[in-house]
Amino acid sequence: MDEEILQDFLVEAGDLIEQLNEQLVDLEQSPTDADLLNAVFRGFHTIKGGAGFLAITPLIEVCHRAENVFDKIRNGDVPYDAVAVDVILRAFDVVSEGMDLLKAGERELPDNDPVLLADLDRLTKGGSAEPEVEMSVPEGDSVLQLAEGSDPDGDMSDEEFEALLNQRDGGADDETSSPEGLSLAEGVDPDGDMSDEEFEALLNQRDASDLDEPDEVSEEDLTALLSDSDFIAEVAPASSIQPEKTVAKPVSKPTAKTKPVAKPAAESTVRVDTRRLDEIMNLVGELVLVRNRLLTLKSGEASPEDLANAVGNLDHVTTDLQASVMKTRMQPVKKVFGRFPRVVRDLARQLGKEISLELQGEETDLDKNLVEALADPLVHLVRNSVDHGVEMPDVRLAAGKPKGGTVVLAAQQEGDHILLSITDDGKGMDPDVLRQKAVEKGMLDEMTANQLDDKAAFELILAAGFSTADVISDISGRGVGMDVVKTMITKLNGSIDIDSVLGEGTKISIRVPLTLAILPTLMVGFDEDSYAIPLTSVQEIFDYNADKTNKIDGQMMVRLRERSIPLLFLSEWLAPHQVNENNTGDKVIIVSIGNQRVGLVVNQVNGQEEVVIKPLGVMLKKVSGYAGATITGNGSIALILDLPGVLERFQ
Amino acid sequence: MSDMQEEDYLGASARCVLFTLENEIYGIHVKKIREVLRVGVIRDVAGTPYNVLGVINVRGVIVTVIDTRTMYNMPSKEISELSRIIIVELDDDRAVGMLVDFVMEVKDIPESKIESLSASKDNASRYIQGIAHYQDNVIILIDVDNMFMGHE
Repeated sequence: MDEEILQDFLVEAGDLIEQLNEQLVDLEQSPTDADLLNAVFRGFHTIKGGAGFLAITPLIEVCHRAENVFDKIRNGDVPYDAVAVDVILRAFDVVSEGMDLLKAGERELPDNDPVLLADLDRLTKGGSAEPEVEMSVPEGDSVLQLAEGSDPDGDMSDEEFEALLNQRDGGADDETSSPEGLSLAEGVDPDGDMSDEEFEALLNQRDASDLDEPDEVSEEDLTALLSDSDFIAEVAPASSIQPEKTVAKPVSKPTAKTKPVAKPAAESTVRVDTRRLDEIMNLVGELVLVRNRLLTLKSGEASPEDLANAVGNLDHVTTDLQASVMKTRMQPVKKVFGRFPRVVRDLARQLGKEISLELQGEETDLDKNLVEALADPLVHLVRNSVDHGVEMPDVRLAAGKPKGGTVVLAAQQEGDHILLSITDDGKGMDPDVLRQKAVEKGMLDEMTANQLDDKAAFELILAAGFSTADVISDISGRGVGMDVVKTMITKLNGSIDIDSVLGEGTKISIRVPLTLAILPTLMVGFDEDSYAIPLTSVQEIFDYNADKTNKIDGQMMVRLRERSIPLLFLSEWLAPHQVNENNTGDKVIIVSIGNQRVGLVVNQVNGQEEVVIKPLGVMLKKVSGYAGATITGNGSIALILDLPGVLERFQ
Repeated sequence: MSDMQEEDYLGASARCVLFTLENEIYGIHVKKIREVLRVGVIRDVAGTPYNVLGVINVRGVIVTVIDTRTMYNMPSKEISELSRIIIVELDDDRAVGMLVDFVMEVKDIPESKIESLSASKDNASRYIQGIAHYQDNVIILIDVDNMFMGHE
C-alpha cells in the first residue's frame, strides 16, 4: 500500500467522514433534500474511490453498498426511514472506525460484519425488488458454483459477494467458474485485475437475472422471506449482531497480531490556504531583506537612525509573520462541533427525548491544538445537557414548555479569547438542592454552604465526586465528568462559568485563549532566576506588608478587603537555599486558580512578556508545577509556572 | 605492531565519541549524538530528580542536562574548563544533554572488539551496551536509549 497515497486518502476521507457525520443526521430531519442526498452519495462514492485505489476491501464493500442504497434513495425507490437510518449509521460507523484504524497505523482492516452487508443489500433491494433477492440464492448457487455447502438459510447475497471476491483473487478461476448467466466478460478486462467495475457489473447482472424470474417465487419462499424480514427488524437495533461478530473475529485477530511493531504514526496535517502561504513567503522575504540590511549596517559604520529604522522594520515584520503563521494553525470550530448532531441524536433516541441541536458560530477559528483538546470536555457538557438538562417530553408539556427541547452550542471570539457556550432550555438547577447535596456529601458544613451565593452553588457541580443524580445512568451522573472537564479547561488556561435558572435552563460558558502556543505572562524573579506566571490568572499585585498577614493554623494569610487569602512563599520551593526571614520588599501576586484565590510571594516582579511555550524535555515531564519553559529577551531561560501544579506542591 | 593491525582493520566498526568519567573511558555511538557543547549557563529547575542538573537552551530548544556521573553512582564533580555537554538524540524530537568530565576523540571501534553485555544481568549494567578492549584501553559503551527509557 502506497504510504503517501494512503496519507492523502486519510486526510481527504477524514474530511468527508466529518461532513457525512453531520449530513447523515441532517438528512434524517429532511430525508427528501436532494442536495443533501447527492452530497451523501458523493461522500460515500469518493471514499469508495480512494479505498478502491488502495485496495482496502472492507471499506470498499461498505461504501459501495451504502452508495447503492443512497442511489436508490435519491431515485425515490427506497425511503430513508428510521430502519434505513440505523443501518446506514452503522455502515458509517464501520467506515469511520476503519479510517481510525488506518490512522492509528493499522494496515489490514478486519473483515466486515456480514449482517451489516446483508442489511445494506436488503435496503438496496428494498420495496418491490425485495422478493427477488431471495430468489437469487438458488440461482446464484448453481450458476456461480458457489455452493460448497455454504449457509443455506437464504442469507446468501453476502457469501456470494465474498465468493466473487475470491474468484477475482483467484484470477484463473475467473474463467472457469464464471458461469453462462453471470459471465464477467461483457467487455470487462478478463485478466483478473478489476475491482469496482467488475462488482458493479456482477451486481447489476444479478439484479437483472433476479428480475428475469419473478414467477418462480414460491409461497414457501415468500413465507421464508417474511420471517426473514422480521429478522431484519430485530437485527436493526444492532444488539443481536453478537453471534455474527464472533464469527468474524477469528479472521481479524491474526492480522492484528502480525501487525508490524513499528507503527507508522498518522501524519498530523493542517490544510493551509495557498494565499496564506504566499503571504508568509512574502513576509519571510521581508525578513531576509531586514537581515541583509542589518548585516550591511554591522560591517559599515551605521548611524543610530539607520539602525533604529532597521530594528523597527524587523519588529514589524516579525509581528506580522507571527500573526500569519499563527493563522495557519487556526481551524474553524466546526471541526469539533461537527460530531455533535450525531451525539445528540443518538442520546436523545436512547433516552426517548426530543431534542434539537443548534450550532452557532461554527466558522470561529481557533488553534488546532485547542480544537482537539476541547472535543472531550464539550462532548461531556453536551451529554450532560441532554441527559440532565432537557426533560422528558411529557414533563416538558406538563411544565408548559414545547415538547422538544433545544440545546444550543455556540462559539464566538471575544478579544484574544474564545467563548464557547452550551445552553439548554431544560429544567435548570436548584441552588438549594446543590447546597444541601454538598452538605450531605460532607464537602461543606451547613454554614459555609448557606453562605454560598447561587453562582458559587452552581460551581459545586465542578467538584470531584459531586453528583446530584439519584440514579446513575451509563451516560452521566457519576460525578466524575464535570471535575474532569474543569481540570481540562484549567489546563488550557481557560475558565468555566455556570448560569442556571430553575425551570428555564442552564448555560455553561467556557472561555479559552485563542492559542496555546503564545502565552501572555507576568515575569517574576528570585535573584537571577526568572519565572513566568500566566497573566490570565493574575488578579492583582501589591507590596508585601507583614502587618497585614496572619498565621492561621500554620498557614500564612494576607488580609485583602476583609478577606483572608492564603499566601504561598514561592521561594520556599524555588529557592530553598536563600531563605530570608524578612520578606520586606517582596511582592504579593493574587492569582485565581480554578475557583480559588491564593497570594504568591515573590522577590521581584519584572513586568509582562508574551512568551512562546516550549515543552520541558526528558525526565522533567513529570515534575509538577511547571507548564514549560521559555527563552526571555536576554537569551536566558525562564520557567513557566503551572499554577494548579504549584498549588499541589504547597498542599 | 598489534596497534598497526588494529588500525588497518577494515571490517564493520562502530564510530564512537569517547569521553571520560573519573578514570574510565566511555563511548557513545556517533549516530546518537547531535553535538558537543561547552558548558554555559545551566538553568536549575527546582524539584527535579537528583541526577538532573537543569535545562539549557540549544538554539531555541529546551534540553534537559543530566549529570552522567550520577547515572553510574559516582559523586558529582565541579564543572571545569574541560567539562562538556554531549547532546544525545533519543529520537526525532527528544534530546538530552549529558554532562561529562572530558571529551577525548571520535574513534572507530571494530565490532569484533566489542563484547556485548547480556541484558539479563542485574540493574548495574542496565545502561551499558558492551565493553570494548581496544588499543590497550577498556571502553565502556553506553546504551543511551536504555538509559532514558521510562524517564519521560
